[in-house]
Amino acid sequence: MVAAAFSALAVMETEEAQIAAGLRRRDPDVLDALIEQYQHRLLRYLTHMTGNRAWAEDLFQETWIRVLEKGHQYDGKSRFATWLMTIAHNVAIDHLRKRTTASLDEMRDPEDAAPFEPVATGSSPFDQAAAAEDRVRIQAALEQLPAIFREVLVLRFQEQLKLEEIAKLVGIPLATVKTRLYRGVQALRPTLGGGAL
Amino acid sequence: MNSDEHGRAIDLLLQRDVEGIADADGQWLEMHLQECEECAGFDRALSGAAHTVRSSTVMASAALVQSTQMRVHARAEQLHEQHARVVLIAASFCLGVVASTLTAWVWWECGAWVAGKLGLPSGIVEPGVLLFWLLPALVIAVLMVTYPPALFEGSLVQRYMKDDSRGL
Repeated sequence: MVAAAFSALAVMETEEAQIAAGLRRRDPDVLDALIEQYQHRLLRYLTHMTGNRAWAEDLFQETWIRVLEKGHQYDGKSRFATWLMTIAHNVAIDHLRKRTTASLDEMRDPEDAAPFEPVATGSSPFDQAAAAEDRVRIQAALEQLPAIFREVLVLRFQEQLKLEEIAKLVGIPLATVKTRLYRGVQALRPTLGGGAL
Repeated sequence: MNSDEHGRAIDLLLQRDVEGIADADGQWLEMHLQECEECAGFDRALSGAAHTVRSSTVMASAALVQSTQMRVHARAEQLHEQHARVVLIAASFCLGVVASTLTAWVWWECGAWVAGKLGLPSGIVEPGVLLFWLLPALVIAVLMVTYPPALFEGSLVQRYMKDDSRGL
């Protein structure tokens, strides 16, 4: 089992090293493959971060341009996904800073009220409708959260990043990551109804 | 039950899913959750939040991916061109410096010859000839340092592709 884990780690290291080498060469084929591989994850993160699909799509493109330009800085020792999200975080922060008249939580297009499509599950049409309604309500609550809480929740639960990775990515102390996670979950708690999902 | 225990429970709950926790910590946590309704509620809320975040489906469209790839290709081409130009300019600069150094003596002597022919003081003519010879290179160097971006702007085709990918 240990050997299998070690082998998996070695494979990952090789993959990351190959990505690093491709980025150093600014190889368009490597970038094409990476864009394909990380398209949904990156867009999801940026959409959560900005709360606006159109902006997220612009930032999606800017992120990949930044990856191309800064690719030589990626050493292949850390996970590429974490490095990519760090780039995306910085691109989004730059973008949001330029829009000084609006705060992070005002970055929501009023016409884009339902950017997330809930996955419908349930055994009967009634159950499905009820479940969908619940999820829409909870998603709305998630969108209402301040972006700083929403970001750590997404990085933690969707990207499955370690707390230390989130701290490094966002550029905040580990204790602050835990506080934001705690407060984010607490803010959702009334809507979640004690976890009755 | 004190606040340290609640703090430990919250810490363990936050770590449990991704980092994992030790068996002993897991057993302690289970016991604590059975006794503490507040932490048990947080545990349920944490699971609910995780489920909510994971259930949101934001998908990138094929058009977005394609236009991003086009922009990345265009920018990569632009960067390669920039790199080639920088190498060319650096090589030209080095050759210029070498040529200047090697021929400076010749031009200095040339100034002395001209000064002798015209009967002017060589202390003025020699540096004057040398400066006249170096002046164009100095002007070009100053211009390049002052306005470097203008030399490396992308082509019109690349700008068109960028605008096109944004739907302009």
